[in-house]
Amino acid sequence: MPSPAETLLKPLTIKHLTLRNRVMSTSHAPGYGSDGKPKERYQLYHEEKAKGGIALTMFGGSSSVAVDSPAAPWNQISVADDSVIPFFREFSDRVHRHGAALMIQLTHMGRRTRWDTENWLPTVSASARREPAHRNTPKEMEDWDFKRIIAGFAAAARRCKEGGLDGFELSAAHGHLIDQFWSPSVNRRADKYGGSLENRMRFGVEVFEAIRAEVGDDYIVGIRMSGDELIDDGLTNEDCVTIARTYAERGLIDFVNVLGGQARDHMAHAISLPNMSFPVAPFLHLPSSIKREVGIPVFHAQRVTDLATAARAVEEGHVDMVAMTRAHIADPHLMRKLAEGRLDDVRQCVGAGYCIDRIYVGGDALCIQNAATGREATMPHVIAKAPARRRVLVVGAGPAGLEAARVCAERGHSVLLLERAASSGGQIAVAAKATWREALTGVTRWLTQQAVKLGVEIRYGVEATAATVEAERPDVVILATGGRPDRGDFPGSDLAVTSWDVLTGAVEPTGSVLMYDGTGLHHGASCAEFMATRGALVEIATPDRMIAEEVGTTNQPIHLRELYRLGVMMTTNHTLVEIYPEGNRRVAVLRNDYTHEEEERLVDQIVVELGTLPNDGLYRDLKEQSANRGETDLDCLLSGRPQPVPEQGCALYRIGDAVAGRNIHAAIYDAARLCKDL
Amino acid sequence: MVAAALSTVTLTVLLVGLALALVQARRWRAGRAAAVDLWAGLAALPGRYLVDVHAVVGRTPFNARFHALSAGGFLAALALLVVLALPPLRHPALWGLLALALAAMLAGGLMVGYRRRVLRPAGLSGGRFNRLPLALTGFAAAFLLVAADQSAGGVLPVPVGLALVALGGWGLAELVFGVWNGPLKHAVHGALHLVAHPRPARFHDGAGRDSGLRPLDLETADSGPLGAGRVVDFAWNRLLGFDACVQCGRCETACPAFAAGLPLNPKKLIQDLVLSLDEGGDDRAYTGSRHPGRPVGAATSGPSRPLVGPQAMIHPDTLWACTTCRACVQECPMMIEHVDAVVDLRRFQTLELGATPAKAAGVLEELRATDNPGGRSLDRRLDWAVDLRLPVLAAGGTCDVLLWLGDGAYDLRNQRSLRALVLLLRRAGVDFAVLGAEELDCGDVARRLGDEATFQDLARRNVALLNGRRFARIVTADPHAFHTLRNEYPAFGGRWTVLHHTAFLLELVRSGALTVTAPLGQAVAYHDPCYLGRYNGETDAPRALLDAIGARRREMERSGLRSRCCGGGGGAPLTDVAGERRIPDMRMDDARASGAPILAVACPTCTLMLEGVVEPRPAVAEIAELVLAATEPTR
Repeated sequence: MPSPAETLLKPLTIKHLTLRNRVMSTSHAPGYGSDGKPKERYQLYHEEKAKGGIALTMFGGSSSVAVDSPAAPWNQISVADDSVIPFFREFSDRVHRHGAALMIQLTHMGRRTRWDTENWLPTVSASARREPAHRNTPKEMEDWDFKRIIAGFAAAARRCKEGGLDGFELSAAHGHLIDQFWSPSVNRRADKYGGSLENRMRFGVEVFEAIRAEVGDDYIVGIRMSGDELIDDGLTNEDCVTIARTYAERGLIDFVNVLGGQARDHMAHAISLPNMSFPVAPFLHLPSSIKREVGIPVFHAQRVTDLATAARAVEEGHVDMVAMTRAHIADPHLMRKLAEGRLDDVRQCVGAGYCIDRIYVGGDALCIQNAATGREATMPHVIAKAPARRRVLVVGAGPAGLEAARVCAERGHSVLLLERAASSGGQIAVAAKATWREALTGVTRWLTQQAVKLGVEIRYGVEATAATVEAERPDVVILATGGRPDRGDFPGSDLAVTSWDVLTGAVEPTGSVLMYDGTGLHHGASCAEFMATRGALVEIATPDRMIAEEVGTTNQPIHLRELYRLGVMMTTNHTLVEIYPEGNRRVAVLRNDYTHEEEERLVDQIVVELGTLPNDGLYRDLKEQSANRGETDLDCLLSGRPQPVPEQGCALYRIGDAVAGRNIHAAIYDAARLCKDL
Repeated sequence: MVAAALSTVTLTVLLVGLALALVQARRWRAGRAAAVDLWAGLAALPGRYLVDVHAVVGRTPFNARFHALSAGGFLAALALLVVLALPPLRHPALWGLLALALAAMLAGGLMVGYRRRVLRPAGLSGGRFNRLPLALTGFAAAFLLVAADQSAGGVLPVPVGLALVALGGWGLAELVFGVWNGPLKHAVHGALHLVAHPRPARFHDGAGRDSGLRPLDLETADSGPLGAGRVVDFAWNRLLGFDACVQCGRCETACPAFAAGLPLNPKKLIQDLVLSLDEGGDDRAYTGSRHPGRPVGAATSGPSRPLVGPQAMIHPDTLWACTTCRACVQECPMMIEHVDAVVDLRRFQTLELGATPAKAAGVLEELRATDNPGGRSLDRRLDWAVDLRLPVLAAGGTCDVLLWLGDGAYDLRNQRSLRALVLLLRRAGVDFAVLGAEELDCGDVARRLGDEATFQDLARRNVALLNGRRFARIVTADPHAFHTLRNEYPAFGGRWTVLHHTAFLLELVRSGALTVTAPLGQAVAYHDPCYLGRYNGETDAPRALLDAIGARRREMERSGLRSRCCGGGGGAPLTDVAGERRIPDMRMDDARASGAPILAVACPTCTLMLEGVVEPRPAVAEIAELVLAATEPTR
């Protein structure tokens, strides 16, 4: 097998467009749109990938072509009128400058959206079949809807061309309007648009024909579609192959971008965006099956997180272009590093799904491990050297401390990192013990490797004290001492153990266990799963309305699936108010948050997950003698100015969970944002 | 009486010496014919000796001095002795002159003795050579006394005088008979070699440098074997050249293969050829350093026996260990052309026997089949530059600078250097173009591996291609392509102005087309590529360019024309002969010793060889990359 560089750094020509290599990013919806336009933040995010050597970056997932497919409420892009064209021009210039191609995805969402937003129009679809994920029943499209929406697609296509984009794809995946027509699970029409596959394909064909009439045969137009809907009443792989071949043979499309599954319910959605519990490239066979049948280039994205897998996909002929979308969120300079022979420096996507989970709750896409992604205007992907070299001492080799050490070393400072444990990782090392969460260690593994490579001196097994810190005579001290489990302060809380005790192996789960989760994050659910796989009889209780309620839509279904499979009893809407002993067992008192009725559970063990409290002892010891009394100048921090440098003495900063228990991204952003200007 | 004895002894010895020399010379006639202008050579001899030979010898001033004294004194003494053989001319003043000449020679002889007995450089051969100081001083001292005595009227007792004549006569005989496989062989053969040198253009009365390989006649069927399989397959003046070797060991000291413990000592290689001139010749009497790791005395040879083979005089590993770096040629005071000999031997192995070793055979096959050594499709030569949208010079098109990309364009690392170069050309507003898929490998590797047929095929097609395009000059970042296009394509009808990119970039900086905005300010050691430095004499432009971008330049041990090879030339990475160390590792030691954090390179092969050295080591940067960083436009 040739090297990844040999395989992937091979151009691909589609019509007049030559892509410089075989790696791309698919259209997605990072929530960076503003007023329905791709403005500076959106453009900078993609420009960074172009700088980083990507061949093709596609933006604007689900960009709308019609008023009844709203875009602005999700901070997405509306191509439904000409006002977007100047932004396209600016955007394409920006990306073309770095040798990359730029395309967009256009769609009409059909029933896969909400009616109660921007325009308060009912959703439309092939048939009036209720969509589970968005809980709406659409209007069945009638003749003037067809005319209007087809015209909308054509006009949007023209806007892409006028905006200088290299092309676009129509989304006919994840249950959008075109594939709502294709799928027998939605389309129950009896007219020429329903029934046979030929009829069900008709609407899409008419859309593409109108587009071709508008932009001509030279403009690059593709389609994104499923290779198998993976549901009983949906499109089969054979159907999808037929659709792709039909559209390709009729000259309607220049590329086909294939994924597996669909997204009409929570579990299907999670499967179509595979997280770290999946193997890499789980659906590669689907584009492969279509590539065998069509003469146009085939693209594919779905958890291709490493370049070796990407190279295999191309080299073995499964696909022509590999989309490494989340891999680029983790490291937009992926391809440049490949070309420069710096594979070791690639920050590999761990598949945490943090980026995508945020956007489904209305947030912006952020990377769990790369604080610069999506913040290109303020956060650099390449750290510049500091004007003066300083001696920086970092305490704690969790994500915050490692990122602080890495960034300070990139700045050219002399960095010493002290860690109490025998290895790095901090709380990530604990979280990663839980079954499919193992890949989280990639976050700190990369940070550790980079820190070492950059010359950070790491001393393990060293408990930092005020004396040891002072002995090093640092100019800057950064405390990233993390947190310790909060045990709660209800009566009998000392009778419980924590999820840390279980995951680290300090306490062996046995017999019947009540897992009480007060945070709704990954930890409670994954600890419950961990214990159940070890044979414990587990009940998980939470005051939330659902287990793992704070976990996003690509991860929570996996937790629920595993807990159901393991027979874990799930109790919601209850708060743990008291524990008392009974013999060598425990009684947990759970109070219903709505009725205030109390129930009791007699169990062998009670495990609580209540988040962390900061390890701030060292901070308090050092605070008074530090030049800044531990204060981080928030104005400087937020405006990207260096923290004030003390005339004499040592500056002291505190980051991550050592300040307040939050999450991995917060810890890393704390560190990067502070240290990039130190 | 003493004077007569002196004359008799002298003339006898000289006559015997002449006879020996003639017998020796007969051996060369077994070689192939060569077109030699003997009269022009004779006329040029004094100049070539005094200028070219002395330039080489003078690199070690002590040696130059003892050589001037001993050889000058000896020649003058011989001339005077011949004159003094005529009794009417035995004037005291002439005896006095003779005494002066001999005194000079004595001083030189003592210096030779000091060098051989006290300094003892490792490269020197022993054996008969170790008697040289004795012979020199014996002859000079004894005859000096005689001459002084004669000028004073002859006061010494006759027996003492005769004894001195006998002693001096022994010394003279030792020296003169030494033209027969002895130390003084080089004096006669060396002079003849200067007269009949196969590359007269290398001397100061020619172009001053002549490093391009000569085309092999592949068309004439009856011209004998292709290349040299037996020693008699070499041209006669090549054999003369080998015979001129004085085993001084300068080549051995300079040879990177020898230093790395690869089984090649250029001095021994030349001796292997010399010994093969005699039927049944073997190297048991050879007293210099061996080919590292190889025994002596195991093989016998002869004029018509195969030279190369596992049991032959030259082991294949010895032949294929050479990197064609020309360090030996650069150092040889006898003007021997070692690399020509190596390539001739390789030509026979490759073209007649198909015995190219290791990966080299596969690479040659790829070259024949695909026109590039990696077997890549030619239309992928620009894969790395899709986003640069390089202008391709089509037939009928025109440009100022034709950028010859070379096979570095297929290599990930060198694509970065080329990208830097292209960005610089753009920045400077140069009207340039590339040949795209039409460019073929220049044939350098094929030629050095002895595959002259493939080389000539590539050369003819490249020449036809280039002659069909209009451009002012060719620029390339590959010194091997630079050398081949500049020095070896003219024989195939290709004559263009060819520039190495360092010279061209210097021109751009000096003309103001590139402005240094961010001087480098760091210490940089520059590694001279063999095919740029020794092969083409270009050592100044890269240095001037580094100076211009604000590098604090440091010279490594062995630099400029005496630079040490990276180990990558002549197909050596393909033949892959094992040694004790890797040549690039040794070269990197020189870089480390310089203390510079950056090692600047100017050749795709050097880049790969040196960047392949394990860290810690200085960062390896192609000069174009440094220039790119130093000339970033300011906002």
